[in-house]
Amino acid sequence: MSVAALKVVKVTKKFGGLAAISDISLEVPEGSLTALIGPNGAGKTTLFNLITNLFPSTSGEMYFCGTSLNRLSPRKIAGLGLIRTFQTARVFPGMTVVENVLAGGHNQVRRNALQQMLWLPSARREERELTAKADAFLDLVGLSRFRRYAATDLPMGAQKLVEVIRALMTRPRMLLLDEPAAGLNDSETAELALLLRAVRNSGVTVMVVEHNMSLVMGIADQVMVLDAGILVASGSPKEIRQDVRVIEAYVGLQEAPA
Amino acid sequence: MAPIIVGGLLQGSVFAIIALGFALVYRVTGVINLSQGAFCIVGALTMYTLELPLGWPAPLAALGAVLATTAFGTALGAATFVPALSRLPNSSMLMLTAGLLTLVEGAVLVVWGSEPYDLPAFSGEAPIDVLGLRVPTQGLWIAGTTAIVIVALWYVLSRTLLGKQLRACAENPLAARLMGIDVARMTLLSFAMAAAIGAISGILVAPITSLQFDSGQFFTIYGFIAVAIGGMGSFIGAVVGGLVLGVAQQLAAGYVSSLFSNALSVILLLLILLCRPSGLFATGVVRRQDVRDEQRIHLSVVRFKGRDTAGFGVAAVAVLLALPWLVSPSSGLLSSLVITGILFIGVLGLDILMGYAGQVSLGQGGFMAIGGYTAAILAVKYGWPPLAGTAAGVVLSVLCALVLSLTTMRLRGVYLALATLAFGLLVDSLATGMMDVTGGPSGLVGIPAFSIGSFSFSSPLAMYYLVLILMITLVVILLGGVRSDFGRALKAIRTDQTAAAALNIDVARYKMAAFAISAALASLSGSLYAFFFHYLSPEMVSTSRSLEMITMLVIGGEGTLVGSLVGVALLTLLPEIFQPFALYKRLAEGALLVLAFQYLPAGIFGSLAGWLSRLGTGRARHQSLALLLSKDDSQ
Repeated sequence: MSVAALKVVKVTKKFGGLAAISDISLEVPEGSLTALIGPNGAGKTTLFNLITNLFPSTSGEMYFCGTSLNRLSPRKIAGLGLIRTFQTARVFPGMTVVENVLAGGHNQVRRNALQQMLWLPSARREERELTAKADAFLDLVGLSRFRRYAATDLPMGAQKLVEVIRALMTRPRMLLLDEPAAGLNDSETAELALLLRAVRNSGVTVMVVEHNMSLVMGIADQVMVLDAGILVASGSPKEIRQDVRVIEAYVGLQEAPA
Repeated sequence: MAPIIVGGLLQGSVFAIIALGFALVYRVTGVINLSQGAFCIVGALTMYTLELPLGWPAPLAALGAVLATTAFGTALGAATFVPALSRLPNSSMLMLTAGLLTLVEGAVLVVWGSEPYDLPAFSGEAPIDVLGLRVPTQGLWIAGTTAIVIVALWYVLSRTLLGKQLRACAENPLAARLMGIDVARMTLLSFAMAAAIGAISGILVAPITSLQFDSGQFFTIYGFIAVAIGGMGSFIGAVVGGLVLGVAQQLAAGYVSSLFSNALSVILLLLILLCRPSGLFATGVVRRQDVRDEQRIHLSVVRFKGRDTAGFGVAAVAVLLALPWLVSPSSGLLSSLVITGILFIGVLGLDILMGYAGQVSLGQGGFMAIGGYTAAILAVKYGWPPLAGTAAGVVLSVLCALVLSLTTMRLRGVYLALATLAFGLLVDSLATGMMDVTGGPSGLVGIPAFSIGSFSFSSPLAMYYLVLILMITLVVILLGGVRSDFGRALKAIRTDQTAAAALNIDVARYKMAAFAISAALASLSGSLYAFFFHYLSPEMVSTSRSLEMITMLVIGGEGTLVGSLVGVALLTLLPEIFQPFALYKRLAEGALLVLAFQYLPAGIFGSLAGWLSRLGTGRARHQSLALLLSKDDSQ
């Protein structure tokens, strides 16, 4: 394991008096695929929201490749190459599937709005190249046929895939994926697992919040378990499977009727 | 000093009552109901008809007028406001109520005509002495009734079960519904109560101000400024805001000039919006925006293939080129076509701002005014060539837009719309107030025809082709923008700013760019307008114009660039073709806007285009969706 891509140091988030995240420290090694699991309400999405500064943490520090994230806007954080997806697929309504994916390529556009408006050959070429790239991504996840449909017309699982490849279009250094497999059936989940593995192998650090244990255990290099805002365990999938605290927090909670 | 303050307090009482109506509807629905002022006029004019031509005794006439207005408001609310509330986002609701305002104004115009009306004072004209000050008795009626309305409203809201239900709808409509509260009925109730409050204030004020069909706008604007000063949704705030505004206006009128008292109240509003957006009395009730606003709007996607677009485009250009030869030169139709084109240029800018970037602007008329007056004044008083004057107007408008968007950066949604409204009103009142420069309310005359070098576009035909060339050039340029990264960034911002920022899209910068483009085009349109009419008055580029442009855009189709041409043409040419129906123009405009929002959200062009493009892909789409859903079996 090399240097940490993402480093979270003693981060706490309180909503009113309630601590959604208490004193969490963790490191995601560069180039790894890390899974973040835990029961509902454990604070997984909250942690993502803190990292991307959608709301500020109560205390603690966060670093991405050595840069402090605490005072950066969500956009600046995206500018560092730390790209997230959302728990409920947030494709842009009113845009086609391919436009949604193309929106991810925004950070690679070099021609300015004026050059685009004047239909300059260089701007059109750039647009064509970007479109070709988007189409290649759509092909990869089997959605090419739907490129011209309204993104919101797709089933939820397909929208989540669109969101994942939209994030990939940005050429991220690290991806934060919030439940990408929600709404996918078994074979689609297996395909997603292959995709995530391929993304990791191409050098992108991936951190994924997921409920689907088979997906997580099959592909993750490291698994972290969150329960009630506390990091209860972290280690290889094999270690986690045998951890008593995890079974208590995760499996135990599932069996006991609420 | 003291008489001015007393006068201000009395006037403020009227603002306060109207502000209460605003606060009530806002508390229950989260919508700023711009139609509020229209009910003042309906109430006052109904009372006039009952009392004078029909000879009812005043108290009976007043009661009848309030009941009739409430019934009218209830019917209108049930038909439009309530069903729309569950379907439209709040920014569209704001537009819908603007449409309702226009609709009611139009109806009043049809029923009562355009002349001003006065009511006799309730208890004679002789003023009485109160603590050594001479106060008109009508003032006492106003102050007393305001107090009664406030107490009654407070009692209903805080002491009755009905009030609890209303407040539950305000805090969390979804939870209220789950608790068995009929949210639609409560919404209607608040709307009806607001109409009743409007009628009462109209009746009270009619003896001291003459009212006509479009006075409703002023009630809406001042009532709204009052509620914004006091704090949206706060009843105490509404009353205090009304009184503050009344006193400030009287002081400005007394010590500066009555022409600037409007400008002053708008500046007061802008200051409040900038320094303390939540008003003086921020309510403890924080509206659960997440509950109502998260409703994802389903936007239709209309996109033709490049080749089809080019084909349609060439055909449309051919028709437009031939058009002047198809209309008889003697009719005024050619002039109307020119006006259509000029207004379309302004609406084109609005489309970039509203249709693409999703930002609501009620101040497009303000930028038209800047463009129009700058070019006209430079031409008339300083002999600048029209081209230079037009360019100067565009530069000035873009500067104003940048300043406005920088200062309102912190404001979102409805507040931003209100800031633009205030801006439009400010420009309007400056145009009215600066008599020496702008010619004041009677307008600026002797504006030359547009010219480039020595060629003057003095005939409508020459102007038609000039405008047509400009239109086509602008559409092609903007098309290049919206079909590239620029357009995608705007559309992403329109629906989901958080997700857009997460993709490294600079939301603030793109909003500013859209705002600047819309201001530049409005300014250009305003300049051309002035050069074509050889005349410019404040009412040609007022807030009514802003609202009309929004109507044109919505009817034609937002987010399509060319679609709004349908709306502009419809509203400009129809009154010209059917002259006898000119009286119904405002009514039709309001009705069209309200209907379009409810039944044709994609507009005429958008619906037509959507239908055409589905014709080709409809079947294929269902097959492929089925394929996607049964992916397991196919593999």
